[in-house]
Amino acid sequence: MDLKTLLNNKEFVILDGAMGTLIQKSGAAYEHSPETLNLTRPELIESFHRAYVEAGSDVIYTNTFGANAYKLAESGCTVEQIITAAVRNAKKAAEGTDTLVALDIGPVGMLLEPAGSLRFEQAYDYFKEQILAGREADLIVFETMTDLFELKAAVLAAKENSELPILATMTFERNGRTFTGVSPAAAALTLSGLGVDAVGVNCSLGPDELESVVAEMTRYTDLPLIIKANAGLPDPNSNEYNILPGQFAECVASLLPYGVKFVGGCCGTTPDYIREIRRVLADKAYIPCPRTAGAAVCSANTVVEIDGPRIIGERINPTGKKIFKQALVDNNIDYILNQALVQIQGGAELLDVNVGHPEIDEKKMMTRVVGAIQSVCDAPLQIDSTKPEVLEVGLRRYNGKPIVNSVNGEEKSLAAVLPLVKKYGAAVVGLTLDEGGIPSTAEGRFAIAERIVSRATALGIDKRDIYIDCLTLTVSAEQDACRETLKALHRVKTELGCKTVLGVSNISFGLPDRGLVNRTFLTMALEQGLDLPIMNPNIAPMTGAVRAYRVLAGIDRNANEFIAAYQDAPETQAPAAQTQTETDVVTAVRSGLQSEGAAAVERLLQTEDAMTIINEKLIPALDKVGEDFENNKIFLPQLIQSANTAQACFNVIKEHLSKTGSENVSKGKIILATVKGDIHDIGKNIVKTLLDNYGYTVVDLGRDVDPQIIVDTAVEQHITMVGLSALMTTTLKSMEDTIALLRATKALQNPDGSSKVTVFVGGAVLTKDYAMKIGADYYCRDAKESVDTAKLVLG
Amino acid sequence: MITLQSLNKAEAVRYLGGAGVAPNDAMNALLDDCERELLSVIDAKYLYRVIDLPCGELTQGQDIKKHLAGCQRAAVLCATLGAGVDRLLRVSQIADMSRAVVLNSLAAAAIEQVCDEAERLIAERVSEPYFTFRFSPGYGDYPLDTQKRLLRLLDAPRKIGLSLNDSLLLTPVKSVTAVIGLSDQPIPRGKRGCAICSLRETCAYRRKGTHCGFENTAE
Repeated sequence: MDLKTLLNNKEFVILDGAMGTLIQKSGAAYEHSPETLNLTRPELIESFHRAYVEAGSDVIYTNTFGANAYKLAESGCTVEQIITAAVRNAKKAAEGTDTLVALDIGPVGMLLEPAGSLRFEQAYDYFKEQILAGREADLIVFETMTDLFELKAAVLAAKENSELPILATMTFERNGRTFTGVSPAAAALTLSGLGVDAVGVNCSLGPDELESVVAEMTRYTDLPLIIKANAGLPDPNSNEYNILPGQFAECVASLLPYGVKFVGGCCGTTPDYIREIRRVLADKAYIPCPRTAGAAVCSANTVVEIDGPRIIGERINPTGKKIFKQALVDNNIDYILNQALVQIQGGAELLDVNVGHPEIDEKKMMTRVVGAIQSVCDAPLQIDSTKPEVLEVGLRRYNGKPIVNSVNGEEKSLAAVLPLVKKYGAAVVGLTLDEGGIPSTAEGRFAIAERIVSRATALGIDKRDIYIDCLTLTVSAEQDACRETLKALHRVKTELGCKTVLGVSNISFGLPDRGLVNRTFLTMALEQGLDLPIMNPNIAPMTGAVRAYRVLAGIDRNANEFIAAYQDAPETQAPAAQTQTETDVVTAVRSGLQSEGAAAVERLLQTEDAMTIINEKLIPALDKVGEDFENNKIFLPQLIQSANTAQACFNVIKEHLSKTGSENVSKGKIILATVKGDIHDIGKNIVKTLLDNYGYTVVDLGRDVDPQIIVDTAVEQHITMVGLSALMTTTLKSMEDTIALLRATKALQNPDGSSKVTVFVGGAVLTKDYAMKIGADYYCRDAKESVDTAKLVLG
Repeated sequence: MITLQSLNKAEAVRYLGGAGVAPNDAMNALLDDCERELLSVIDAKYLYRVIDLPCGELTQGQDIKKHLAGCQRAAVLCATLGAGVDRLLRVSQIADMSRAVVLNSLAAAAIEQVCDEAERLIAERVSEPYFTFRFSPGYGDYPLDTQKRLLRLLDAPRKIGLSLNDSLLLTPVKSVTAVIGLSDQPIPRGKRGCAICSLRETCAYRRKGTHCGFENTAE
């Protein structure tokens, strides 16, 4: 018997009930974790399994929920020992029956990045170890998951190390989300894409409260659903659950119309519950429930359905952008994150992410940027690269269902990209070009689109997940090409039934008033059926055109979204009335007025030299604010606001200098990092803001940074000043190790063996004495002292 | 579930330093705005369990033993503001650092408010009328890794999504674990504040002649 046969033979697959509840009721004693009972009391565990087999379970879960290397660390048992014994116990109980044994795997027990510090690969390795140890089981179950990213690591570990079928269930709270904010829709969409065999919900609440969760899930998947709910809520005093077996089974039966095929129980359920389920379902039939949602992509907590035009922000892309390229070289992730947030504010619902630049390791950067953007931004991403290996790392590290940009009609591209799209369950942009280039006619492009669709669907990629790009050509070079693009787009939309995507701003190269041309083209394309314009959402008239189109095409019902976006905006685009008083730069910095400060510097630059402004106006103003802060006259946020204003002023000066081709205003480079193991980084970020604003170039390596990365960055970028932060006594050791490694690195030493690197350190638990003891050069008790130190060392 | 209606802004202002001056209008407006934003994402949860004393596993070190002296039972407590607050703090650090520090201080005040409320709810459900103050792993010589056992006892990862990382930091970050001694008899007031604080030597508040909010009863 295997799961496939079971699914075919039976209307419903009856799972088991709780193991923990039975262990608790038996009063069996164990140390550390209940999984050790597999070794110490095998007959007891076997008897629990047998009770479920006799009650009618078709699948029983091994007693291995927490049997991972992290949770077992103090138990003295290995994962292999526990899981082998657990599978043996379950198999014995199932002997002579058709009951299948599922290897049960719960969460690792530590949170993954960005919320926690467990890395995706570490989570993967924990799961892999369990999966290899449980290879004798008949299927694998991941349950009680609250982080979709962790579950993705688990599913990939299973897919890449085993052939067994996979069931995946998550645990939702009363607000319809998991603890980490995952929605049932995002879970269903992502897990279906990753190729599990069934999805659903376990633990959580009682079955009476799960209707909205299963209803939402089933809209986004063709897979059969799993329900393994708690027996209601526990009484805080007696710990007894409040839903009795008969009622539980009736509740579950009422959810069958949502495509439920697997039914069992979680906390508080016993063999009596399973018997009742068996009885109630005996005369019922499985009701298949195909996905009703159309094309859709998601992050872990936001699903974007492509049911009308949606803007893909194009700004995270270094092409033709000097500052962006520099940010990539400098590892300035905050710059990129800021681009993400600004585009969302502008009206983008999806973001394209391209970090291709010859001077950097694109794979590493894609991994880092995808994680970083997802830590601050809910919009689904479009992973954009010409290199399949970069696409793959981006897909792997993406939490949710992304878009791949792109595949094209070339054999090489189809062969390399489509399998990745399938494996990671992504959507994909198909460019209508091939070995012969871009066909000049609509027919030629349509033919390539057809080929891409047929190749993709042959691999099992859903047609809903293929978005065709009919390619925008420059109208000043080929005037008739615009018409062909639109014609092809229309045919793809109506005849192939695919969603369409188009970068719009290429159309206007070489023409005056490009904005006008772009906007008109955008409107024409929307009318021909464009779903996903790739554009700059911060150009208000472009975003406005999409929003207005949604109203006029009857998509934005009652113009609700349009009104929400514009009701507070001035009627026309006329510039806001100028305030008559002009603030001087010193006042602006001291009061934290960013736009006033920038305007004041613009004016000053007409008469004064940039360095004079910096040295005689900006820095003294900042110093005065710093002094006020030290003397308790102002609060930290005010110091930061002043610093940000100085930053706005510096930016004006930098821009001015880059236009006139003058010297660099950077006063020197400084590496900042929160040491390995430490995830509190607000202090480090405050230091960064101030150093930035005093004109230093900060290479921010983030938090929980491996010492080797700090050393490598210092060597590669010839940086001789390093700031380290640690907030916990437990992570001071990492700080010491990092300093030791910096000191020991030959490339960072002078010929006489002394260190070239100046290390300054800070953090709540540090003292000056301790800082000196671990080999730092300076101890800085706050951000202001860090700036003083930088001045002392770098000038 | 605990719902906060407002946040203790006076406390947040103290965390922000600037002892001696009252916040100006702009600062107050920023505080109000951040309070509103924070209240909309806080999803406060807590768990507790009453244990019989002595309990060797949870009371290692001299300071916790002193703290619980005379108590027959203790309430083991954990509480969190939820993952949404961590996320808001991350976003604000990219978008606007000055907001970030205000949000951070307000969140620090908020988790204390949640613990106060949790403690009040516990008081309603136990028979003992006398409580010690909340003593957390990391105070004095009470080992930080007690948190591991404490969270396991409460089943915190599963029930409220609160766990530890490798360096024994709580995640979500704005969370607390603590032990409260319960007694039928009045409890002599223990030393709470600077005297037992491991940050005594570096404390920014002490430098400024103030304290962090713990009533300073050190002699």
